[in-house]
Amino acid sequence: MIHEFKKVWKPYTLGLLWVLGLLWPLLGIHPDGTLSFERTLIVWLYLLVVSFVCLILYLMNKSGHLELMKNPLSAAWSKGAVAAKVPPVWGWFLVGLMLAMLFPLFTGRYHQDVAINVLIYVCLGLGLNVVVGLAGMLDLGYIAFYGVGAYTYALFNIHYGIPFWVCLPVSGALALVVACIVGYPTLRMRGDYLAIVTLGFGEIIRIILNNWMTLTNGPNGIMGINRPGIFFPSFADGFSWEHLWLKKLWLLYYVALGLAVVTILCVHRLNFSRVGRAWESIREDETAAELMGVNTFIYKLLAYAMGGMFAGFAGAFFAARMKFVSPESFTFLESAMVLCMVVLGGMGSIPGIILGAAALIVLPELFREFELYRMLAFGSVMVLMMLFRPEGLLPAKRLGTRSEEREG
Amino acid sequence: MKKRVLSMMVMGLILVPFLFGPVSAKTLRIGSMGPLTGPYAADGNDIKNGVLAAIKVIEDEGGIPGYDTIQLFPQDTACDPKQAVASANKLINLEVVGVIGAYCSSSTIPASATLAEEDIIVITPASTHQDVTDRGLPYVFRMCGRDDAQAPAAVKFMKEALGAKTIFILDDKTTYSQGLADGVAKASEAMGIEIVGRDHVNQGDKDFSAVLTMAKTKGADIFYMSLQNHSTGSIMAIQARRMGLKAKIVSNDAMFHPNFMKVAKQAAEGIYVTYGYTDKTTDAYKKYEKIFTAKYGEIGAYATYAYDGAIALLKSIKAAGSTDPERVKAEMMKLDYDGASKHVKFEKNGDSGSSYIAFQVKNGDYVPYWTPAQGVLK
Amino acid sequence: MDYFIQQLINGITLGGIYALIALGYTMVYGVIQLINFAHGEFFAAGGYVGVILLSYFAGRGLMETHPWICLGMSFMLTMGYCAFLAMGVEKVAYLPLRNQSRLAALLSALGVSIFLSNALMLTQGVFDKPYPGELFNGGWEFGLVTISYLQVMIVTMTIVLLVSLNILVFKTKMGMAMRATAQDKTMSALVAIGSNRIISLTFAIGAGLAAAAGIMVGLYYGSVRYDMGFVPGIKAFSAAVLGGIGNITGAMLGGLIIGMVEIFGAGYISGQYKDVFAFIILIAVLYFKPTGIMGVNVDDTRV
Repeated sequence: MIHEFKKVWKPYTLGLLWVLGLLWPLLGIHPDGTLSFERTLIVWLYLLVVSFVCLILYLMNKSGHLELMKNPLSAAWSKGAVAAKVPPVWGWFLVGLMLAMLFPLFTGRYHQDVAINVLIYVCLGLGLNVVVGLAGMLDLGYIAFYGVGAYTYALFNIHYGIPFWVCLPVSGALALVVACIVGYPTLRMRGDYLAIVTLGFGEIIRIILNNWMTLTNGPNGIMGINRPGIFFPSFADGFSWEHLWLKKLWLLYYVALGLAVVTILCVHRLNFSRVGRAWESIREDETAAELMGVNTFIYKLLAYAMGGMFAGFAGAFFAARMKFVSPESFTFLESAMVLCMVVLGGMGSIPGIILGAAALIVLPELFREFELYRMLAFGSVMVLMMLFRPEGLLPAKRLGTRSEEREG
Repeated sequence: MKKRVLSMMVMGLILVPFLFGPVSAKTLRIGSMGPLTGPYAADGNDIKNGVLAAIKVIEDEGGIPGYDTIQLFPQDTACDPKQAVASANKLINLEVVGVIGAYCSSSTIPASATLAEEDIIVITPASTHQDVTDRGLPYVFRMCGRDDAQAPAAVKFMKEALGAKTIFILDDKTTYSQGLADGVAKASEAMGIEIVGRDHVNQGDKDFSAVLTMAKTKGADIFYMSLQNHSTGSIMAIQARRMGLKAKIVSNDAMFHPNFMKVAKQAAEGIYVTYGYTDKTTDAYKKYEKIFTAKYGEIGAYATYAYDGAIALLKSIKAAGSTDPERVKAEMMKLDYDGASKHVKFEKNGDSGSSYIAFQVKNGDYVPYWTPAQGVLK
Repeated sequence: MDYFIQQLINGITLGGIYALIALGYTMVYGVIQLINFAHGEFFAAGGYVGVILLSYFAGRGLMETHPWICLGMSFMLTMGYCAFLAMGVEKVAYLPLRNQSRLAALLSALGVSIFLSNALMLTQGVFDKPYPGELFNGGWEFGLVTISYLQVMIVTMTIVLLVSLNILVFKTKMGMAMRATAQDKTMSALVAIGSNRIISLTFAIGAGLAAAAGIMVGLYYGSVRYDMGFVPGIKAFSAAVLGGIGNITGAMLGGLIIGMVEIFGAGYISGQYKDVFAFIILIAVLYFKPTGIMGVNVDDTRV
């Protein structure tokens, strides 16, 4: 929980009341001077109930009323944790994979659609993780490479009829090249200057996609992109390969799953390789890393390019799935969303990012029942999650602490 | 330990939506799609309310035989193609029989392709882009007009009624507005109006002083605004007046919204708007107006089309006596009656014809000013 | 030439608005190194409170009789309100994260931004709110150049606010405390400066300036909408970085440059690429001077 919870609890409650009290008049007054508090009241009540539940939970926890429930739970959990250590990591990975493989058998279209979204964002999140989580560069324009990948496949497919599987590496490669071009001049900057420059490049790429009518068809987007196809062995007369378009959603789900698994494996291998260690050293202290003989510029560029490449793969799949791309899918808000997944899940931690992507895609869908209130709930949940777990849901183990970040 | 418990809780939370499937009851389910959040939320809510008004009318008339109630599942597309496809899939899962929506052409196009995979009828009340119905999807219908009908009508109006010789065209870079602006440019060239300037602004911009200064310097007879949204239009109208733009301002159907005048006030006076002709004196319109205004306030630009689309869908389901898309479609093609917005009769490709006329803003109201058949109205 | 002068006037007006918003970003960043994404929302809230107050006055007929008093009151009340709102938000969403990684606070700010703009949408409605602005319509005509009263008012207000901010930061004791906190929290605490109080104050001043910008934008463009804070927020953030983030004079300069580049890009090249020009200038400046125009080198703290 919040570290200095006791110290901040009282001012926090005061602050919450402060904000709500101030929001009350703003939200209920009409310009003609009349008042209507109904809608404000509903918003307010939601907030009050949530904060009240949090308060009760906190107080019960503090006074020991939850011990009855917590003790057996934590005992069982620690037993489970010991048991979980027995099989190797790849064992758990396989179990997860099996569950993911079986997922479409029990679910309908909508759930599969959401699951595909989650998998795309897992790929994106892991790609951004290389840049932000491993190399420690704040990138706010990441979604541009996703757009480059999507448009690469869309254009090649529309104009030359090149199939998905050929275009997938091409999309990745092109996104990588663009990332290098963007990265070369920008990576000499540090910290927040880098953040704003990447944001700028992201916007520039989006605006170009939106305005270059002859190439991208501008805001109209590109329609009629083919789905991926597979060659299926056919034994009808003799043996031949039959070409099938993957039209069913669950088949696409497996393509997305495959892409996500490949990304997970790649990022995992990169993370625990010499390159990954170099990245982490840059993240922890760039000056020290350079002193130790790490060529920081090359490694930063590599991280940026790698991140771009994974986004390119995800983009190609996105275009194939939607059968339609338009620049509206690649706005700054998407970049922020992917960044949220990485930070919320835990920077540098692969299972964390999977969890973060799942949470951020499923939460708005979950709040669909609230209709208009869904983005409101989403915003407050984001703040709450950060307050309760600022280091992410499943933080990475290898994350150092610097002295200046602990100062008062 | 606590963090494990917490992450388990999060996982549990994530799994919750997968546990609740759709509940079965004897209700007829229809869906609506539109931007309920985001910059175009106003129009999305109009669409939703229009459909709700239609459901109320049909239910008051005795409902649909075999069903107790008609339930609407409004879905938020946020004018984002990805969310539109997600909401289309959600509607498929809810087993709706028909969908009214979506608003932005860029959402309608991919969403209707998804819904077409399950043969669900889509009636769009607001997407005017040609490709919505030109893709040959069998169950896509359109209540509003088409861009390639609006552009020539608008240019004809400018040429004949306003005697335009030069024109400055501006759009706000959306699928819809740019398509329309291109159409206007093409038609202007064909009819001999000189295009002295063509520029774009981006969505979300508020400051148009640079572009308006340019338009003022170029000194065109007509300043044509092709915009996705009436709020951009009202801001632009205010700035144009303040800038002292002498040109006559002509705009597109999205400006046909009560809030356009509420915001622009004096600046809106004299602006011409092309919009599908709606006879406000018909019984059908009066009935609709009564029900809609009683519950949802002022009638927005696309609420009437959404209402007519929903009525057409429900009428056809009633006539077909089933929800089989093929039979409902057959009934829809047979429809031939006076709706609230216009005479409802679908063409082969799903269009329902366009009847664009020009309105002029006078004393805070849209007054019919010109029709293609009769010329300037006295 | 007329055309150039007209565009110059447009650019100064827009730049002034960006500068006011950028100041909030830069001040908060200077003190706690946080990119406050919710700052644009204070700007929107300011616009809304302004429309509520002004409509109230207009409805009572006070706008005709005492226009300047009404306007002054609205500015004062709105700035005060947003200042308090920002302090509250700071207590709820940022204070508990003071010692955590900067990205956590960044995301918390993003969450606050989503929350506030959606709360505004839900309760104030999705439609634009018109400003009662007939009073200030009109302007002076010099040949082909038009200067509206509102443009003059905006530029004057901006200059007044900027000058008073500079006096506050560089000439008063409170400003000294703020600068000390920005430089070193531990040291300033040792000389009896309450850093929490100073940080709260910084948020309040930044949000007050943004609120003033909100009213001016509302008057200038004639209406406000719940999502009006997002795009100017991003632009103002760019302006703050362009000038060298953390530097007050830099933010003013950056705002002016971004506004000018946008207007001249739209006026002389193409309206559709105006954001591209703004960002290209930003990138070019940062390429040759990686700390912004007036910035000093930031240490390489981890994101």
